[in-house]
Amino acid sequence: MVEQLLRLKLRLLGNAFRRSRWRVVGLVLGLTAGLGMSIVVVTGLIGLRFAPVEAAARGVEVFGAVLVLGFVIVPLVFGVDDVLDPRNFSLYGIPTSKLSSALLVSALLGIPAVAMTLISLAQVVTWSRNPLSVVLAIAAMPVIVATCLLCSRVSITVAAFLLSSRRSRDSAGLLGFIALAAFAAVFVLVYRTDWLANGGAVLARIADVASWTPFGAVWAAPADAASGDVASALLKELIALVFVGLLWLAWRQLVGLMLVTQPRLAGARQYHGLGLFRVLPPSPSAVIAERSFTYWIRDARYHASLLVIPVIPFLAMTPFLVIEVPTNILALFPVPIMALFLGWSVHNDTAYDNTAIWLHIASGVRGQDDRLGRVVPPLVVGVPILVIASIICAPLYGNPGVLPAMLGVGLGLLLTGLGLSSIGSAAFPYPAVRPGDSPFAAPQAVGTASALIQGLSFTVTIILMSPTLWFGVLALFLPGFWAWGALIAGLVLGVLFLWVGIRWGGRIFDRRAPEILSSSVRN
Amino acid sequence: MDAAPDSASVPGATGLGRSTASKPASTRTRVGAPTPRKPSAKTPASRTVAPKTPRAKPAETVLDIKGLVKRFGDTIAVAGVDLKVETGSFYGIVGPNGAGKTTTLSMVTGLLRPDAGTVSVHGVDVWSDPVAAKRNMGVLPDRLRLFDRLTGAQLLFYSGTLRGLSEETVRLRTADLASAFGFEDALNRLVTDYSAGMSKKIALAAAMIHSPRLLILDEPFESVDPVSAANVTQILRSYVESGGTVVVSSHSMDLIQRICDHVAVVVHGAILDSGTMASVRNGRTLEERFVELAGGRTSVEGMSWLSSFSD
Repeated sequence: MVEQLLRLKLRLLGNAFRRSRWRVVGLVLGLTAGLGMSIVVVTGLIGLRFAPVEAAARGVEVFGAVLVLGFVIVPLVFGVDDVLDPRNFSLYGIPTSKLSSALLVSALLGIPAVAMTLISLAQVVTWSRNPLSVVLAIAAMPVIVATCLLCSRVSITVAAFLLSSRRSRDSAGLLGFIALAAFAAVFVLVYRTDWLANGGAVLARIADVASWTPFGAVWAAPADAASGDVASALLKELIALVFVGLLWLAWRQLVGLMLVTQPRLAGARQYHGLGLFRVLPPSPSAVIAERSFTYWIRDARYHASLLVIPVIPFLAMTPFLVIEVPTNILALFPVPIMALFLGWSVHNDTAYDNTAIWLHIASGVRGQDDRLGRVVPPLVVGVPILVIASIICAPLYGNPGVLPAMLGVGLGLLLTGLGLSSIGSAAFPYPAVRPGDSPFAAPQAVGTASALIQGLSFTVTIILMSPTLWFGVLALFLPGFWAWGALIAGLVLGVLFLWVGIRWGGRIFDRRAPEILSSSVRN
Repeated sequence: MDAAPDSASVPGATGLGRSTASKPASTRTRVGAPTPRKPSAKTPASRTVAPKTPRAKPAETVLDIKGLVKRFGDTIAVAGVDLKVETGSFYGIVGPNGAGKTTTLSMVTGLLRPDAGTVSVHGVDVWSDPVAAKRNMGVLPDRLRLFDRLTGAQLLFYSGTLRGLSEETVRLRTADLASAFGFEDALNRLVTDYSAGMSKKIALAAAMIHSPRLLILDEPFESVDPVSAANVTQILRSYVESGGTVVVSSHSMDLIQRICDHVAVVVHGAILDSGTMASVRNGRTLEERFVELAGGRTSVEGMSWLSSFSD
């Protein structure tokens, strides 16, 4: 049984290399990243051999606990495509205990398990300080690997239960996003803490707590032995072992449960009438706009890009915060940055439809109607956001007179970005997250092409808007006229570029429609 | 169902049937008239008028496929398909898995660019004048997604409006289609929560909503329950009788034999035989004829273990 599953896992890994070229590239990148990171960690751990016991202990304990927690959290947030889902084996009539151990052993064949084995080996080097610490570190090796693998198996299984309906999957992605945003905030806080002055104390406190939790205990046991605290070392080893035992029991129970559980049926919600489709008098471009807007409201992938908009400016400002640029200068950033991202948000919109785009093609929808409909939601959402943000940010800068310039730059960037997106999403759609997948699931092929398109659309937007930007900069130093000049230039150029983008993108769509469908079929 | 196949109460049938202009049939309400559910005297009467007129005059070709070729890398998916489909025929396309049925139909409907060959619908070339050609076609593709974050009602409204129908027309036809296909209860649910058969039905309804001259349906009966399949067949039959044309692909030989009057057998991307059902069957069942054309059955030997049951 174990042997068969191991062979199956190997075969699955091997077959991954026989897929399309881009997927292989992605896989190789993933492998390299995993390997590279574990090499960094391993050298770090070996380096810690020569650090004082206390410093090494803090580092290893905090890092180890975070690592184990990662194995719990990542599957919950990102959703993992589990090839060895116990449910896949439910029809073969394998005894539960046999299946659960076989699945666990086969999980040893994988990038995470290999990386963890390397890391657990390296911590033996870190703790090669006295006989007991070596013994405990060697004993910790299998415990570390088992803890991580069991954590991820249990977490993946729990996620499969929780996320079995579509609606909960949609909201899980959002929760994940909020968690990420919170993480970014913590990061800023952490960055602002004065580490040189009292960083050591903070870290020591965190390490102290972590070392008694099940996540950190296994890492702490050899550390305590190295510092001579035999009693607490043994106690922590015990905590770690009990934790693994509990995880194992939980895993067995879950496998047994999975084998007899049907995928949960979604409690389908009832909607009434035509919803947004009542808003505009019907015409192809109007219904496309309304359909698009409905997706912005109902589809988690669009939620993600909407939620990113208010967060992006703060992320982009972090480096400036760190180098302590005055706050009033910082107030100039949010509006242009949000405008840039709003305009950019639909640059791959066609690919978001996936193969459903056939309906537009088979119905003979004119390309420009398709293009026009798709830019309506970001306009409807974006214009009020930019206006409100400008009204808030201009006084924060200290000179309400720059308001027209800020509006001009913001709206100009939005309109121009949408125009470019209209061309880009028809000319170069690239694989996107498929409908119904987690918004943070990696699309099937992230290649150099997509990075190039993304970078290019930002750069070109900025180049096209450079006259307005220049007026805007002048408005900061010169009074009156230039601010209004920037507003007029932004609006006129923006509307022009949007119009050109829709017409040109429409022509490309008319010409390339079957090819757009083919590329989405490959996704 | 067997007792009165024609007068059967298929409410959408009259609304959907294409009544070619200038035909007497066009006097009946074309769209969405709330036809009484009980078999009325009117329905059979209009039926006897409608089917005869198109058949009286020389049949015209509504779909003309010439030398269609498609390659994917080294594999040739479609190797020169020629096919003429006449107005008012119910044309079945049968073939084993991977024979190129879907590829052919995608090229016919303008969804996949052919490497060579031409397709014309009602005299208009699909690939040189797509807008005009597509207007005459209703399409149900196989294995492509729907805009499934819309409710059933929204999807039908969307499909109808993209085809240029007025709001009132779409509303009436949606009601008709929903009762004909039996998804009234599902209209207000998201399509993504539908079962496979239900999605197929809503897609089929979306393909017909603009009452096209030609319906191209790729595996329309896959995972549709027998009752709905019977309803759909009924709707398609009356559509054909009033002058519409249906091209349908399927794996189910029985079904094709039962509902189609013409059939083409596609194997390895080429048509091995085509014509009226009788001429292709040539005295046998379609399945027997098909198996013969497709290369015969592999004799089943060495499977004796299957009858010696293990525990």
